[in-house]
Amino acid sequence: MESQTRQSHVLAFWTPVRNPSGSFILQLVRNNTAANLYKSSLEHTAAAHGNITRPRPGTGIKVNFKDSKGNLIKTVEANEGDDILSIAHEHDIDLEGACEGSVACSTCHVILTAEHYDLLPEPEDDENDMLDMAFGLTDTSRLGCQVKLTKELDGITATLPSATRNMFVDGKKPTHH
Amino acid sequence: MHLQLPRDKGIISALDIVHWYTRHPSNPAPPPLHSANHVSIIGMGNVSLDVARMLLCPPSLLEKYDVPSHVLDALRKSQVKHVSVIGRRGPLEAAFTTKELREMMNLPDVALRPLEESVSNVQARTRQQSRTLELLKKGSRAAFGTTLRTWSLDFYRNPLGVTLPSSDSPSYSLSLEHTTVDPITRRAGPLLDSGVPVTSTLPTSLIVTAMGFHAESSSTAPYAQWYDLNQKHIKTLPGGRVSTTNLDSDEPKIYASGWAATGAKGVLASTMMDAYSVAEAILEDWTNLTPSSDPHSEAVSSSPWDAPPPEIMKSLSSPDSEITTYNDWLAIDAEEVRRASTEGKERERMDWKEAKRFLYDKGLRVAEEDRS
Repeated sequence: MESQTRQSHVLAFWTPVRNPSGSFILQLVRNNTAANLYKSSLEHTAAAHGNITRPRPGTGIKVNFKDSKGNLIKTVEANEGDDILSIAHEHDIDLEGACEGSVACSTCHVILTAEHYDLLPEPEDDENDMLDMAFGLTDTSRLGCQVKLTKELDGITATLPSATRNMFVDGKKPTHH
Repeated sequence: MHLQLPRDKGIISALDIVHWYTRHPSNPAPPPLHSANHVSIIGMGNVSLDVARMLLCPPSLLEKYDVPSHVLDALRKSQVKHVSVIGRRGPLEAAFTTKELREMMNLPDVALRPLEESVSNVQARTRQQSRTLELLKKGSRAAFGTTLRTWSLDFYRNPLGVTLPSSDSPSYSLSLEHTTVDPITRRAGPLLDSGVPVTSTLPTSLIVTAMGFHAESSSTAPYAQWYDLNQKHIKTLPGGRVSTTNLDSDEPKIYASGWAATGAKGVLASTMMDAYSVAEAILEDWTNLTPSSDPHSEAVSSSPWDAPPPEIMKSLSSPDSEITTYNDWLAIDAEEVRRASTEGKERERMDWKEAKRFLYDKGLRVAEEDRS
């Protein structure tokens, strides 16, 4: 079997297998360990940047993650210097970080509480350029990968922005089925 | 290509330039930079700024990256002094993003011709527009008039046609209609002076069109039947639904997401959000299937639509298969880095022929001559 590509989270995938003659056949492979592979790839990604170590419970900086409706997803603890994206990944929170923290996308966009937003240093030009294109941008929005935690941010809440359900194209309003 | 412009030696598409400097297998002819003083790029998206940046950036700054050596040589010999980026509408409608604009503004020894007051004097409606306008007004780091190379953003100009070079005139002459943008509809229309359309001509050595993705009307791809040539994307209903909203029918249920459904615009985050919403629609339809459909069926899919495209199936069974596996790519990657290591470059890209030859020599591929 040839090396696996980034298909670990799908139910089944086509994989090319080379014959001795040089031609290929495609095999459809069921992925029975999809869930485990996905989880381990998430863990690998988290380890790949930031090397997050969890503080002893009760000693870390508390970070609350909320969904777009304001419901608490989880409260976690972080160390000084950890960034919100890495912390989210460490604790399996669904915050996408497509460019892996290189300020080349806006998928880790989070909305912070105003009091905590004001404690942070101003975003640099490159972060602001990406925030320009973030979905559901607010006055207290930041890229999660650029928010480094400090003790004075203890208790900070990061809210995931809302996605519009059934996005419509060309300005047409969605109709009910 | 632009509808009003013919193909000519000095009239090319931006894709040809991008494929040239990235060593794409399509292997286009190099752009004639050694004889071009003035370049006109038609279109104001990020591709236009990418091309402008490659043409204006001092080659010494590019040396340590992955620009192929023969491209660096051509850039060192380039005679390009000015690049005009031409757009039909104004700064509020330009498709380029602030990040790419900022890279242009920060180019050393390259200056932007300052915008006219009338052009920059528009009212921004979004944060992105305000920041773009602010950056345009601030201008380039290098002051205009102090640099050898310059560029300009020629807003409100619509190409009508071109006069080809002749014995009397060595350069092209691009005819441009001046436009005005309706503040409500945001549509461009001809600018009139006492009822007469205002036009001008721009002498230029090289014309590059960068006007977004165009699918061809002759496409035989299976999804072509749903493709809207005017909108330049697949026609979808809310939720990305393409083929049918009747869940009980036997027709395959087809969905489109991202650029296939919205056209070639929108950054990763918006495409991601669209993917989430289409995934929700798929799950919603799945749970609403009538009981006679068995969601736990062993077959992964019985629809021909879920099979790999016919081109792939054909290629797989052909002895001239062009498939490159992940392991093949790892070998190519290592070799490109190795070739550049003595020059302090990131990598020295191979073209597709070289890469195949390299794989044969490594024994990773069966040589073409030996295939049965």
